[in-house]
Amino acid sequence: MRIPRRWISALLLTGIVATQVAPPAAAQESEALAYYRQAKINWRQAEGQSLTIGLNKHPFTESLLPLIPQFRALTGINVEYLILPEAEYFTKLAADLSQQRGEFSVIMTAPIRNWGYVIPDWILPLDGFLNDPKLTDRAWYNLEDFFPGLLASNRWSGKIGGGIGEGPLYSIPVLSETYILAYRKDLFDQYNIKVPTTLDEMAEAARQIKKNAGIPGITARGTPSVASIGTGFISGLKSYTDNQWGELDAQLKGNLHDPRSVKYTETWVNMVRESGPANWANVQWYDAMEAFTAGQAGMIADADFFAANYEDPAKSKVAGKVGYALLPAGPGGKTYASLSTWALGINKATKNKDAAWLFVQWATAQRTLLNATLGFRNYNPTRASVFNDPEVQKVMGSWGNGGYLKTVARNLETARVAWIPQPERVRLGDIWARSLHEIYFQRMSAADALKRADAEIDKVLKEADIRP
Amino acid sequence: MTTARRRRRQEALLPYLLMTPALVLLVGILYPFSLGLYYSFTSYWLQYPKRFRFVWFDNYISLFEETLFDRALQFTLGFTVVAVILQVGLGLAIALFLHSRIPGRAVLRALMLLPLMMPPVITALMWKIMMASTNAGILNYLLSFIGLGPVNWFGSPWGAIASVLIIDTWGNLPFVALILLGALQALPTEPYEAARVDGAGPMAMLRYITLPLLAPFIILACTFRAMDSLRIFDVIYATTMGGPNDATTNLHIMAYQFAFQWYQIGKGMAQAVVLLLLVVLVSYMLMRLWNQASERTRQ
Repeated sequence: MRIPRRWISALLLTGIVATQVAPPAAAQESEALAYYRQAKINWRQAEGQSLTIGLNKHPFTESLLPLIPQFRALTGINVEYLILPEAEYFTKLAADLSQQRGEFSVIMTAPIRNWGYVIPDWILPLDGFLNDPKLTDRAWYNLEDFFPGLLASNRWSGKIGGGIGEGPLYSIPVLSETYILAYRKDLFDQYNIKVPTTLDEMAEAARQIKKNAGIPGITARGTPSVASIGTGFISGLKSYTDNQWGELDAQLKGNLHDPRSVKYTETWVNMVRESGPANWANVQWYDAMEAFTAGQAGMIADADFFAANYEDPAKSKVAGKVGYALLPAGPGGKTYASLSTWALGINKATKNKDAAWLFVQWATAQRTLLNATLGFRNYNPTRASVFNDPEVQKVMGSWGNGGYLKTVARNLETARVAWIPQPERVRLGDIWARSLHEIYFQRMSAADALKRADAEIDKVLKEADIRP
Repeated sequence: MTTARRRRRQEALLPYLLMTPALVLLVGILYPFSLGLYYSFTSYWLQYPKRFRFVWFDNYISLFEETLFDRALQFTLGFTVVAVILQVGLGLAIALFLHSRIPGRAVLRALMLLPLMMPPVITALMWKIMMASTNAGILNYLLSFIGLGPVNWFGSPWGAIASVLIIDTWGNLPFVALILLGALQALPTEPYEAARVDGAGPMAMLRYITLPLLAPFIILACTFRAMDSLRIFDVIYATTMGGPNDATTNLHIMAYQFAFQWYQIGKGMAQAVVLLLLVVLVSYMLMRLWNQASERTRQ
């Protein structure tokens, strides 16, 4: 077949233009990898090995996935991943860890989850990897760049009832959250409502919003699960009791029936019953977040980084109308919010431990976390350098006219992991949340429901040999 | 070896060869079942592997101390009774309607099958959106036109129970209607002709001919629906997760929570075995009724 000459000319011309206009892919990739190659380690020491990463469906996961090809190019390590919704993910993870098959090499975890994995010896301490010069260039990696409180929350001595911030580092934080109050500033101004500083004021503000604006005054998680306890509710309770109270006493017995806890619970539940959404008992975190984003609630006491959603004009009806404040304080005048991080850890049963560490090191490196935040909205950053990056500050600084950043910074001064470390935290939280339903539906008084929950908690902790 | 001997040998092997898939399937079912049964007699708790030991019937006995067990058992049985009555009753009415000479019967029959083609989880999620507690949910919006609602579908115990019942009924009604419609079409015509000659009206024919002849099929539909209703999981898991206030926690959800949420495999398996025994017992009783009804029909 004879090919017309003008076709050949057009083809050649296109080729020339393409090479002139688009920068060569290899050069782009090399530029991106140059940062990592500054580390004085051999990134290709585990070349050819394979890793499977266990991931929860979460904004952090969304921010990590687009960056993974870079890790493959840098190390020659093949990476596969399994992403599951949270409940299914932790079930699958527990099954894999307990069978010691090492299906997942790297896992997405959290300090409060680690307590259940350290006792049966399922996950590896990471200090050995960090201190091995063959595997980690400490100066380049700059562990000290992580906020000390966040890093400390991922350390645990293994002592039931204490030991947070002591002992081995089990995971490296990739996203942090504390719990704050987000409120509809426009409605608060319009109806002359005071931003609450005590629980009673919060209940009153919720009532006023419902009465005047005709929408629920507050939205909150309400399903009978630990997830409904661990954010705004427990943070408010810690603050209400001036951080002088815990869900277990010194003998590790249930302490929910403490009068301060009973009073707080009564007020909180009455507030959501009177001024909350009608379907509170079926509200998951995303329902609460979406309701507030859609302008269907006056307040929400939950994760600070939900602000990324509230302030996104593309999907939010309240962008630019939200104020941020600390959760109501206790008699001492201070707020003690809970704190949580999502983090990456390593399965003890994995065969490719060094490759797994290289992945964790890459995924938590300064540049990777900066790219995840700037490019894919991984808020809140866990490294100070990412948090303070001018671009990141510009984005977060615009939320709530600067109120967001100030509130988060103040919250972090006193925020700590609220839970008492022990491996049955999920069970305890589920029992606790069920007692809130008994109170909400007025089947039991707060005192009786919490007393019964304590008895159940005592039984479980005894059965698990956690207390004598 | 002669050709005849080889052929004889091949023929002798043939039954075993044909049975192989069934045997593989049997092992595939029996192995996990036996393992589950074995675990129900152990203290298997995922997070505490060192505590693993044989505990005989401890897990079964401790069930009666669980605060949740009473509620779960009550809901399991109560839901089954109401769901079976509702679904078989409505299914019978639909079957009778579609059996009569109405225009567009073929189209209606085809449309009726649509819910059967959807996976139960998708059905549940679809209804969850439609049943939003405010008027944002289409169901409450429609109810507002007749002056009802808004109904707090998933946020109140009775609302949640009703929601699960409605979703389950929507998904399974076609199955019941289909069985009964098939049976109606296969009924002999002679008794009806005789009754017509004797001057019987439609209600009398329904009561004295149709229902007695349909009895074995009605019991069969009840058996299928009772078995499914006793162990319903997907609809509850996708909508209420057993709440609120444990109102929709049945034995299956409870077993799931123990085994996969709290990792107490031993206890979870014991609950699953109790549920299995319940299903077997109820099915056995219904199958006996079915046998009796079939005998009567033959006579």
